[in-house]
Formats: sequence, structure tokens, C-alpha cells
Amino acid sequence: MESVEGEAGNFTVTVRERPRYVDMDKCIACGICAERCPRKVKDEYNQGLAQRKAIYLQYAQAVPLKYVIDSDNCIYFKKKGRCRACEKYCPAGAIDFTQREKIHKIKVGSVVLSTGFKSFNPSGYDIYGYDSLPNVITSMEFERILSSSGPFHGHLQRPSDNEPPQKIAWLQCIGSRDLHAGCHEYCSSVCCMYAIKEAIIAKEHAGNDLDTAIFFMDMRTPGKGFDRYYDRAGKEAGVRFIRSRVHSIERAGGPGSDDLKIIYVNKDGRRIEEVFNLVVLSTGIEISEEMRKLAQDLGIELDIHGFAKTSSFTPVATSRPGIFACGAFAGPKDIPQSVMESSAASSACSVLLADSRNTLTQEKTYPPEDPIIYEEPRIGVFVCHCGINIGGVVDVPAVRDYAETLPNVVYVADNMFTCSQDTQGLIRDAVKKNRLNRVVVAACTPRTHEPLFQETIRDGGLNPYLFEFANIRDQDAWVHQKEPEKATEKAKDMVRMSVTKAALLEPIEPLLLENRHEALIIGGGAAGMTAALDLADQGFKTFIVEQNQKLGGHAKHVKRTWKGEDGRAFLSDLIGRVQAHKQIEVLLDAEISHVSGFIGNFKTTVMTGSAKREIEHGIIILAVGAEPLKPDEYLYGQNERVMKWHELEELFEKEPERLEQTEAIAFIQCVGSREPERPYCSKFCCTSSLQQSIDFKTRKPDLNVYILYRDIRAYGQREQLYKKARELGIIFIRYSLDEKPLVERTLIDGKDKLKITVRDQILGIPVELRVDYLNLATAIIPKGDEKLAKILKVPLNEDGFFLEAHMKLRPVDFATDGIFVCGLAHYPKPLEESIVQAKAAAARAASVLIKDSVEVEPTISVVDQGKCIGCGLCEISCPFGAIHLVRVTGQGYRAENISALCKGCGICAAACPQKAIDMKHFRDRQILAMIEAGGSR
Amino acid sequence: MAEQAIKLGGKRKSIFIDKVKKLLPEGGNLNLCLTCGACSSGCPATGLENMDPRKFLRMAALGLDEELTSTPWIWMCTMCYRCVYACPMKIDIPALVYAARASWPREKRPKGLVGSCDMALRNMSRSAMGTPPEDFAFVVGDVLEEYREAQPEFKEMKAPIDKKGAHFFLNQNSREPVTEPDEMVPLWKILHLVGADWTYGSKGWAAENYCMFLADDDSWKKIIETSIDAAKELGCKVFLNTE
Repeated sequence: MESVEGEAGNFTVTVRERPRYVDMDKCIACGICAERCPRKVKDEYNQGLAQRKAIYLQYAQAVPLKYVIDSDNCIYFKKKGRCRACEKYCPAGAIDFTQREKIHKIKVGSVVLSTGFKSFNPSGYDIYGYDSLPNVITSMEFERILSSSGPFHGHLQRPSDNEPPQKIAWLQCIGSRDLHAGCHEYCSSVCCMYAIKEAIIAKEHAGNDLDTAIFFMDMRTPGKGFDRYYDRAGKEAGVRFIRSRVHSIERAGGPGSDDLKIIYVNKDGRRIEEVFNLVVLSTGIEISEEMRKLAQDLGIELDIHGFAKTSSFTPVATSRPGIFACGAFAGPKDIPQSVMESSAASSACSVLLADSRNTLTQEKTYPPEDPIIYEEPRIGVFVCHCGINIGGVVDVPAVRDYAETLPNVVYVADNMFTCSQDTQGLIRDAVKKNRLNRVVVAACTPRTHEPLFQETIRDGGLNPYLFEFANIRDQDAWVHQKEPEKATEKAKDMVRMSVTKAALLEPIEPLLLENRHEALIIGGGAAGMTAALDLADQGFKTFIVEQNQKLGGHAKHVKRTWKGEDGRAFLSDLIGRVQAHKQIEVLLDAEISHVSGFIGNFKTTVMTGSAKREIEHGIIILAVGAEPLKPDEYLYGQNERVMKWHELEELFEKEPERLEQTEAIAFIQCVGSREPERPYCSKFCCTSSLQQSIDFKTRKPDLNVYILYRDIRAYGQREQLYKKARELGIIFIRYSLDEKPLVERTLIDGKDKLKITVRDQILGIPVELRVDYLNLATAIIPKGDEKLAKILKVPLNEDGFFLEAHMKLRPVDFATDGIFVCGLAHYPKPLEESIVQAKAAAARAASVLIKDSVEVEPTISVVDQGKCIGCGLCEISCPFGAIHLVRVTGQGYRAENISALCKGCGICAAACPQKAIDMKHFRDRQILAMIEAGGSR
Repeated sequence: MAEQAIKLGGKRKSIFIDKVKKLLPEGGNLNLCLTCGACSSGCPATGLENMDPRKFLRMAALGLDEELTSTPWIWMCTMCYRCVYACPMKIDIPALVYAARASWPREKRPKGLVGSCDMALRNMSRSAMGTPPEDFAFVVGDVLEEYREAQPEFKEMKAPIDKKGAHFFLNQNSREPVTEPDEMVPLWKILHLVGADWTYGSKGWAAENYCMFLADDDSWKKIIETSIDAAKELGCKVFLNTE
């Protein structure tokens, strides 16, 4: 992207497209060009640990899967007109040396910058020896070493001699939390988790004899499920965690040895010398020079660290209206948070461009299905080479010829890439010409490619469920590479099974459901209101159901965000906008008593006092929040000098003279968090205590402030707060779980005080703190949402927080369609992350609400009510509430499927003692016939 | 170190570390410690006297001023700065060690250092060996003579003392002229081959400065001043410190 001209809603973007020198329509990604290309180049994707050719695929999963010529290295471009090997050997005639750079002018309403990060380069940081010691590598290099598509095909080896290492060390905070020139003050947020993951995976690759040690300063695993992972890594996988920063790395032993010597101090302060075979530097996240320049060209403000400057309240908006940022460009963050931000950015775009929605969309139409062709099976079989993926192991022509001998098969073909665009045309033509009414593709995996082929035969006039996949790559060619003959026999077996099933396939009518356009949001805190505004601003009628008598939730306690913005002003503005919005209706003092229906068609009963209200709506967003734990330790509730969270701050606000009279304050972190009964981190307590302590200390510089902590988890740019606090002279004292601080009441000079005893871990001696107040950062706990979870039929995790469908891929969705989650109900998080998640939930919800009808997967269960005895086992077993008993006059109860809720998992069919339930597309007779065919070679 | 509990809290008192911070640019970053241990992993004095740089700084942060200023460990620090070099917060621990040394009565400080510093103050050589200017001049002349004769390719080599207007003012650790005079020659040869215009000074030629290690600021300054004045007096442009 070269430039963006114009304004929000009406931009003209200039994009420079470099020539690929390969015609994308013709390239079938067979790989022959790269095989023949004589020019070898360092492979950037493998971090320079392997080589690629001058014509190459950036990586195996690249989309689109099309080759590209690197003109900086290609012989044709270097020695004008020479070589041309790729052109000569390309079977598709796809090489095109005449391509030139193209400039595109694109009209858009908004722009999203999701340009990601650059990994810190430790070159030149001499104490770690990255430039001189071959077995000191970066975490990115180690990722490639672990990868099956990496330089060593997933075998754990070290670079110097390709020997498998027996001992690996990880060094945390390389380039992060470091004031040296070229390094960064901030924490990169993701390195602790990826180091643990790498250690665990390395052990999985090499077996448990592999010794892994992670050298760290603070272990920062504050995300959902992260602390459990950290615990398991230590206790179950045996990863060693060593709280010590290594001074430097030296070559161990004499010349010829590539081993590495590390000296560190253990927790008793003793110097320990250890030799490792490989050292991984956990390098941090930074913004590249190119990106800084682009930001400047676009007029986007960056913060002091080079990340996009955003506000906590509008976390995806850059300084230029209409241009949004998400992911690591807007600050160091992990995958779940990046994915949520991407959805939030799309919501921000949707709000901005709501008026022009659907003005450029075209509806796809299909030819009508011809009912006559269903009469007698006429099957076409297409066997795929998948380049050399299948063809290199399985004798594809033999499988094709074998398929031709099978009953009902009237057409066979083999293709280099069955998924390529031109092959789709061939399949369509074959269907029409040969009056095929069933199609079998023997290829990669249905996981990624079944929808494509279903679409293709639909274009050819067939019902999409008349398609069957034989998975001869993932389940055959890839796993039997060393036994090609047996793999070929297995491929034949798999094709025979698929053909047998295909003959029994039935067309299935699509399930189209009417869709409502109203949203229901449960919870009127910052998250709920943010989601409501994003939806209402797009024109969707939105209901907020709040159990309290006013809106606001816990955000009212956020005096300032960690960046210093005024939290209360934001909240009152938010409440004002919600209350004034014509499309939002707020129900206060209200509770959900019943929910029925499904995506696009929910019916909810809301009780307001004794009044009952029925609301019909298309989606639900859960934003019910969480609350701080009231602890029963450290004298909380027994001594008024012991407080929690914002209580002390609010006391000083009400009675400022109290702060004046105060000499010393202590904070205790992790109260009730990261304990055996609650093994999760509450994520934002460190930030909160840092903020408060800085505020107190700034207002009263001679105040003594002590923070008793286990790990300071000032993740990301919050590290600045930790540094500021230390600069101000706030004393941090680490305690361990097996030696928690002791809090007692005491009298000093007749004054009531608190005495806190804690062992200083550095000196190994006890410290007695005499303080006026103690503030506890207690765990954030769920509100006890079991009832609501049951009403909505959505799951809670082991800690009682709502459980999303997938942590990374679907972070605000539930497995049940049409219900979304955001805010503290999902997991403890700071305000700006709740806002991001709320906007993400709004984006996901809007994608449902815009439709007049939704098409759902029709491969659902069917009940033969003649066989059903009404026992109800299916209803008990169904995890989605998709099957229930209904009264049938004269027969008692009979099971009935609720098609919109059914996921087609088949549990009901398995549970039914009468075999009265069958799954469409996976009917017993289809599966049994397949199994039988499998055994009848 | 005392095993009884450290008592903190109550009204804030000024402690040793606060005073040291005021003396240093950016306060020597003394407040920024992350207690990561990088300093102690790299320090050659870690473990001596049950002390290491991290513990030392921690004691300072917690106000254990008495222990801080009485531990003999501070005299085991070599002022090598390995700790600062690797410290992610670039904390000037050696400056804190120095301040602790300075807090000792001069007569209680290590005898070797006191003796060497005192020796340097005796004459204008500022040599810790006590070598007077004339002895230095004799040894330099003698060694030069010997090499000019033995190695004809260096017969034009010079080792001037008090040459007015020379570009470089060179100093010299006094252990060499006294115990290993041949060790001076390689540098002379280099200077000769590159055609450098240089001179020793009869005053302030000695490069070592034990008063600095002794944390005797006034004497440290006196020694430096002797050399600088001598260089200025000769009109030299560049002071070449070989130590």
C-alpha cells in the first residue's frame, strides 16, 4: 500500500502490485519449476536455516498456492534472458516473464492495518553470542526446527552438527524489558507462553529424556488457561523453570565443541554452571522500519515504541478516522487477543459503512437440480496426484483404473491438482456430459476441501450431498510414505468404500431458517453497552437486560485506565449514548428466566420485578461480568485497615486527609488467584496495584509503598508502569505460595497499624513491614452463572467462566450458534480488552443479524417416530438441546429433532436403544455398507 | 548478616542509596532493579563474604545501611563493570560499591590500596611504586639505547620525555619501568612505525591510580591533575591513557 487519499467512507488507496512472473490462473502448484530451477537462495521462511529456489512457494500452506519468481535472485533477471528452466518445464505454461509492476487505485470506505510485527534481531548483542555461536538461535528459528515443514522435517536437531540436543535452555526477555540500545522497554507479552510451548513440544519430539530449562525474570502467563499450562509444564512435562537472568553465553569446553556454557545464580544466590547443547533466545516483538514509514505516509500516529497509537476506549481506531489497526501493530499481543481485535476492527468498519452495506454484493445462483438423474447411481471418480504429495507415493493411474472396475462407476479421471480452478471446470463438464449423479474425489482431506467440491457439483446441477471424499493423502500417502505398494492398495480400498457409500447417498434439502434482526445483550456493563452501541449504530434493534438498577457494572471503579485516560468520563458518556439511542431498549432490574429457539429465532422471557416480557431476537451476547473475591485471609473483613481492589483508592478520594496522615501502604497480589483451588491469574491486578501505588506515591512522595507479589505481570506496554513504580522508589517484595505473608494487627506509639511479615527472597531473611493500610488484589471470580449457562445451554469452564468455542479461532463464539460472549464473564481482563471483545462479539453477531435467512448444515438427525418409545435418552444425551420429547396424541411422548440446533454429531443416534434415530448423510446403512466394502478386497 | 527481621515501614527516612542516587546521572538507575540476577551470574566476586551484586543492591534498597557500609565484600569488587554490561536496567552497581568504600574511615581501608595511593602522592611521578621522575627517565633512556643498538631497523626510534608540542601525551603503568622494562618497547615500536609524535612527561607519567580504587576522591583527583597539567604544559593535543 503506497498511499491512502480522501476521508473515512471515501478513500482512494494506491496499491503497488509487484510482478509474480507466474500466471496465477494457469499455475497448478505442481512444483516442477522449483525442482528444475538451478538457483538456490536462503529460505527466509525457514529463517535462513534451509534453502529454497529462485522460483518458490513462500510456504506449503500459502494462499493462493501459486509459485512466484524472486527476480532479485532469478538467473533470467540477473543475466538478461538466460536459463528459463522453469518456463521450459512448466506443464501448465504458467511462466510469464513479461509481467510488469501494476498500480491499482481502489475505492474503499475504510482501511484496516493488520501488518503484524518483526521479531527482535539479537545480532550484535554480544553477550548472547548469537553471531558467533552456531547453537545460539532465536525462538523463530526454533519454531522452524520443530516444524514438519521446517529445515529438519520436524526432527529436533541443532544447527552446528545436526545432532539431536540433550539439553536445551531458553533465555527470556531478549530484546524486551531491556534498556540497552536497540532493545525495548516494554514486555513482548507472548514469549513466556511460546517458550513453554516450545519446551513441551521439544519434549514431545525428543522424548522425556530431553532436559529443558527456561530462564526467566517474571513468568507472565496471564491469559485464559495459561497458568494451568505453566503448572502442567513444570509438574507433568518436567520443564525446569529457573528464575534467573543469565549474564552471558560462552562456548563450553575446548575447540571443536559447539556446546554452550551458562552461568546463573540459583534462588539461594549460588553461582551454578551448566552446559547446554542448544540455547534458544526468546526474542520479542517490534515494529519494523518499513511499517513506521508506512504509518508516517498514511498520517497514522505511533506511540513511543512504534505501535499504532490507540485509546483504551476506541482500541482499534488509529489517529486517522476510517483507518483501523489490529493485532501486534497495535501493541504486543497473543493470538486470541489479535483475533478478537480483528473482529473488533471489522465491527468498527461495519458501523462506519453501515449505510453502504450490501451495495456491492452479488448473490450467487445455482442451476436447478434435475430430479430425474437421482434414479440410478452413475458415479464419477476423480483421483488426485496432489503434485507429488499423493502421486509421489501412491500409483494414482492404477487407482484410477481400479475405480473404473467398481460397480456404478461410469467415469474416471486423474488430475495433478483436483482442487485447481481449471479442474473444477472439468468436473462440472464431466457431470453434465456423462449424466453423473454421484461424485467421488480421492484426494487430500474433506476437512479443507469438501466444501469446494460440494460447490462444484452444485454448479453442475447436483445436490451437494451427492459428493463423497476418499481421504487418500492425509490418511494414506502421508502416513505410508515408505510403503508405496501398500499405500496404493489402501487407496484402492478407500476409493471402493467411498464409491459404495456414494451409491447410497441421498440428496438433502437445504435448511433455510427465517432470521430475526434484533439483538439481546445480557449485562449492561462496559462490555454489554459497547456491543449494544456497535449493533444499534448499524441499525439493529438491541435490548440490554441488566440485573441491577442502573447501567455501568464494574467499570465505574476504573478511575483511570493504565494509559491515564479518564474512566468515569468514558463510562458516563457510554451510558448517555446508550440511553439516548433510539435502537436500544434497556431493561433494568431484569432477569432472564427462559430462553427458547435457536440462531436467528430466539424467544426470551425477561422478568422485571413481577412483570414478564417476551422478546424475540436473532442473537444473544453474554456480558454478565464477574466480581472480586472477598477473601477470608489477611484480616480482610476483620480489620478496617485491610481493603481490596479500589476500596483504598476510593477511601483516599473521599477523605484526602487520610492519605496525608499515612506513612506506609502495602499491597498483596494474587490473593485467591493462582492458588490450588483457583489456579488462574486474574490478569489485571498487577496493573491496577501499580497504577494505584504510582498515584499514591506521586501525590505523597515520602510515602513508603510495598508491593508483595509472586510475578509482576505488567504484560505488554504496561511494563512502563512497573518501571515508573520502581523509579519512584516503590519496593517490590516477592513471596512464594508456600510462604505467604503474615498480617497482624499492631500498636506503634499508641497508633493502630498493621504488621506484615514476609521473607525477602533475595536476602533470604524475614522483613517486617509496619503499614497503615493493606490493599489486597483479590481474584476476579465468576458470579455463579450456572443457572444462566443452563438456560442458554452454553458451557462454563472449570473455573466457572463461560467457555468459548475455540480459544484462538472462535474466541467470542459459543459452540451453540448465535450466542456470543464478551467481557469479564469470559475471563478477567482490563477495560480495553473488554471493549475489544465486546466489539468483536458485535461483529460476529452482526454477521448473523444482517441476513434475512440463514442456511444451516442439513446433515442432522432424523427420528423414526414409529420406532421411538419415548424413553428420552436422546434428549438427555444431546449437548445442544437439539432433540426433545413431544406429546403425540394417543402415543405418549416421541422424540423430535429441532433442526436449527442440531449439529449432526450423532450422539442421539448412538444413545437410542431402539435405533429409531439416523443421521442424514451418515445413515447406518451407508456407514455399514462402507465398512463391509472396506473388508471385501 | 543479621538473621533477625528487617524492620521497614513507618515514616520514610533518607537512606544511603538515596544519597548515592543524587550523585549519579539518572540516579545510576539504582531504583530500577528487577532482581533478575544477571549481575550476580556474571560477577567474579559472587559468593565471596556470602555476598553478590544483587544482594548488595537489595540491601541498599531495603535500607540496610549498616551492613552495606561494613561488608568487606566491597573491596573484593574489581570495578570490572561486567554487572552493568549485562544488566537489563543498566544499573550502576559499581558506583554504589564505590560510595560504600568512600564511607569507610581511610585508615580502615585495605592496607595495600592505602599504601599504593600514599606512595603515588610522594613525588610528581604519581607512581604507585614510588619511582621518582629521574629514575623513570634513566630506565627509558637506557632501554631505548639498548634496542636502538640491538635492532638496527629501530635505530631511529625515540622515547622522548617532556617533548614540547608533541601531539600525544602518553602515560605508562609504573610496574613496567620498574620490573619489566622490555614490556614498554612494543608500544614504542608501534608509535615509531606509524610515525606518531608523542612524549612521556617527567611529571604525572604513571598511569595507575590506586587512589581511585581506594575511593579517596581528593587524592584520585590530585593524581589525575598532575598528568593533565603536565600534558597541558607541554602543549600536547591528545592524552593517551594506556591503563
